[in-house]
Amino acid sequence: MPSRKPDYYEILGVFRDAPLEDIKRAYLDSAQRLHPDKNVAAGETELFLEIQLAYEVLSNPKRRNLYDATLPAEIEESSVIKHEVSFSRTNLVQLNEPQLVYALLEVGPRDQKEKLSSAPLNICLILDRSTSMQGDKLDFVKATAIHLLRNLRPEDVLSVVAFSDHAEVIVPAALNLEKKKHEGSIQMMQASGATEIYKGLRAGIKEIRRTLDPSRVNHIILLTDGQTYGDEKACLKLAEDAAAQHIGITAMGIGHEWNDVFLDALAGKTGGSSAYISKPSDIERLLTDKFKALARSFADEVLLEYKRQEHIRINYGFRLQPEGGFIEVESPIHLGPILQGTALHILFEFLVSPQALDGDVLKLLDGSLKTSIMARPRPVPPIRLKLTLGIKQNPSEEEPPSRILNALSHLNLYRMQERAQAAVEADQFDVAARYLQNLATHLLSQGELSLSKTALFEAKHLETKHTWSLAGHKDIKYSTRALLLSGDKEKAE
Amino acid sequence: MIVCSNCQHDNLTGAMFCAECGASFAGVHSLIKQSLGPEKYQSVSKKPSDDPSQKFRGGETWGSLHLVDTGQILPLSQRNEFTMGRTSESHPSRPDIDFSPYQGYDAGVSRMHAVIKRDGDRIILMDLGSSNGTYWNGTRLSPNVEQIIHHRDMVALGKMKIQIMIENY
Repeated sequence: MPSRKPDYYEILGVFRDAPLEDIKRAYLDSAQRLHPDKNVAAGETELFLEIQLAYEVLSNPKRRNLYDATLPAEIEESSVIKHEVSFSRTNLVQLNEPQLVYALLEVGPRDQKEKLSSAPLNICLILDRSTSMQGDKLDFVKATAIHLLRNLRPEDVLSVVAFSDHAEVIVPAALNLEKKKHEGSIQMMQASGATEIYKGLRAGIKEIRRTLDPSRVNHIILLTDGQTYGDEKACLKLAEDAAAQHIGITAMGIGHEWNDVFLDALAGKTGGSSAYISKPSDIERLLTDKFKALARSFADEVLLEYKRQEHIRINYGFRLQPEGGFIEVESPIHLGPILQGTALHILFEFLVSPQALDGDVLKLLDGSLKTSIMARPRPVPPIRLKLTLGIKQNPSEEEPPSRILNALSHLNLYRMQERAQAAVEADQFDVAARYLQNLATHLLSQGELSLSKTALFEAKHLETKHTWSLAGHKDIKYSTRALLLSGDKEKAE
Repeated sequence: MIVCSNCQHDNLTGAMFCAECGASFAGVHSLIKQSLGPEKYQSVSKKPSDDPSQKFRGGETWGSLHLVDTGQILPLSQRNEFTMGRTSESHPSRPDIDFSPYQGYDAGVSRMHAVIKRDGDRIILMDLGSSNGTYWNGTRLSPNVEQIIHHRDMVALGKMKIQIMIENY
């Protein structure tokens, strides 16, 4: 469309009604990325001049008004990102009691065939080398780190930080490393000391910032086998700061002593999730898979900002793919990445109070989706996300869409496990055991024989010993989480 | 409010699965209207003369399944082949004849349990590799092998006993 006038709003990636401060922020983000001092790629200087002009016009209220008057009507559809929402019910019911409704949000590239060159990586491995890592665990970790370093593409950056009660940089973040020398440094790592995740995380973030670049996939992979004590809050704060700079975090726990709730929360701050490595020999496979997934990134992050609607609450949010994981539902929500070939699927549970049912239509959510795509120098225009449902006297007879039913049936298993855990925390072991027995029944009916047995075993363990077995809860939690993914793959095939 | 038929737990309206026992509420509106529950079954069984052709107006009814335990009659009409089984939360695909409202799960009916079809004058029953087996007059059928059956034969899907009634036999 060469004849079309450039849309300054699109160029900066802001809504037409964006306040001045948003325009300013968007301009600074883009300018930083496209500054002629930094970029040599063909055509990027022109882009820089374009955003310069766009900002000059939009930041001046008078010129902005004049410009707005010349604009054609806004095109609501994004040309880059496609999103789709399905609901568990076609309408809400006029009721005097609270009701639930589920929404499945799918976000993916508009053009499936568009093959973006895969973005260069900027990854930092943060490795726990506390005493408990001694032996198999550290050996496998070292071997994998060396393997990843050797197979790095020339454009990628891989830094390695090791920590115990202090942290040290094993491989610094830089391009064109002398690999042989650094392989040696990895090999020399010794296990000793306690686990202080904050120290490792801080050093890792410092390292990744050296080569921080919005056109790269900036990601931290934390590997640990133990609990950290007392610095959890500080870690979460670091993760929030990382998220603000588009640094993602994946946390991998080895064995059964690490704190899954904490690592979930830590990774969740950035739209990442935690993974469970039950035995040291799985380290290489899981870590290599993670690397491959990162190299397939289409968008490193999708951010959902929304205003709270009165009498409506998002009760629960869960990412079904590309990586199963619990998500925090306070705005802005870090939904997670979009991989090439794997869209982002998020399931929300809304709790609607009777007071909200005023009129014929209910606005469940009013917000916007912001996406950052590394391989695209220009910002992606945000998408308005408005979820509305009709209110009727009678429930709809229609069956819920099978994609929602499918997703919920797998999530149902995961949530039963969550309820069992909550009951254990409240010292209600009989209740927890009952949840697990129910879970076992459902697992059995879905053909998950061995997991069903594990659930029954844990139910018995809880009843008699009033605690999970060593690996029990993590086995069940991460296996039911994995079912969410396999369920979705079946559907895709 | 949705009261779970499995554990009597009160769930919020709009819930898709019971928060207590995890049972699925899929299609629960229609089930409530069919009044699931043992006491209702008995009242149904008192009128076995329920004319099946009325429910499927316009379709040719060539046979029916009489559920021995509950007295229900399920007509076979409008098509020549019916898969029998029960719906399940994990599989959105549905068999043509769904035994879940008739406690198919408790009776051990598999999701895709068996198929009954009409081929000219012959009526054929075939097990689809079910977990608890398909029995024809007391004999367990081999999976995926067709068996010719006749009017008034007794068939069991797991423990679900069914008498086959064929029109114009």
